[in-house]
Amino acid sequence: MLKVSVISPESVLFEGEADSVVAPAYDGEVGILTGHAPMMAVLGKGELRLGGSTNRRFKVEGGFLQVLDNQVRVVTERAVAG
Amino acid sequence: MAKGRELKGRIKSVENTRKITRTMEMVAASKMKRAQDRVVAARPYASSLTDIISNLYTPDLAERFPLLRQPAEIKRAAVLVLTSNRGLAGAFNGNLIKEARNLLARLDGEKVDVELHVVGKKGLGYFRYVGRTVAKSYIDVPDRASIENAGELIDELIDRFANGELDAVHVVYATFKSALSTPPVTQTILPVTPPKVEGARPDYILLPSADAILTELLPSYVRNSVYKALVETTAGFYSAQRNAMKSATDNAGEMLNVLRRTFNRARQAQITQEIAEIVGGAAALQG
Repeated sequence: MLKVSVISPESVLFEGEADSVVAPAYDGEVGILTGHAPMMAVLGKGELRLGGSTNRRFKVEGGFLQVLDNQVRVVTERAVAG
Repeated sequence: MAKGRELKGRIKSVENTRKITRTMEMVAASKMKRAQDRVVAARPYASSLTDIISNLYTPDLAERFPLLRQPAEIKRAAVLVLTSNRGLAGAFNGNLIKEARNLLARLDGEKVDVELHVVGKKGLGYFRYVGRTVAKSYIDVPDRASIENAGELIDELIDRFANGELDAVHVVYATFKSALSTPPVTQTILPVTPPKVEGARPDYILLPSADAILTELLPSYVRNSVYKALVETTAGFYSAQRNAMKSATDNAGEMLNVLRRTFNRARQAQITQEIAEIVGGAAALQG
């Protein structure tokens, strides 16, 4: 399980667990599963999908993704659920 | 009973004023609660950005990034002063203006060319009054400020700092320590002071590269500092207003006690005098 948080300046939009994360990186989507190496990436515009039992989607534009010890943190100025 | 009627009028008037200040206190308290929640909600984002920067920052990057550039000599600086649009908040705006004045005096003393940006009618009114040139003013920043509002205030300054037109950018705002303590502070947001790195950092895969991430990250970081300042100043303003209105309500209560006591004493004195007159009149008839 991955611990995922989606954070915007105004609030924490999501905090919970997911089996997989697919994020829109600057040059295409990146997929993250359990045991991923530490990573930091710049995000582009697109859809962030949290897979597994928590099936959540967010539209994001810009921002950053940080993966460390099965914790995924998406930090973005513009994110809306949907 | 001329004095009594006059006192009655004043009691009525103080009662009405107390009603108003009590209402304002309650309104400010509920707005403060909401603003306080926003201060708390802004924390995870700020700490995440700080964490990411501290994981990427190395001293040699400072040379390459305009926003990390530490100018040898500061010739031109911008000062952004955050105040509120409304008053009735005790010394809140006064404290902010004092902090800004101290900063301006220091910069003027160092022969720095200062450009003043002011948010809020109170600050604008003051600097107009003392005849200080205000380069830009904003009086329509909403209570529920968004990161876009912060962008409107700072994006231009970020670009100009990056171009080398400015050597420093300071923000004067009120920190929200607690509902009773909202001290004004000056924060230098440009050049960016990189957060200290603690412990060993994990070996990150960087997409696309540390440089590219920092190019995106640094402006976000600065924008968020301004956003945080806006949110804290709003919360600080409402807590200062609530405190001011609370003491106004308390003072009105005390004043009412004194006035009622005076009124009762005057009434009692009159009754005593009337009885004395009646007794005196009856005695005169008998005698």
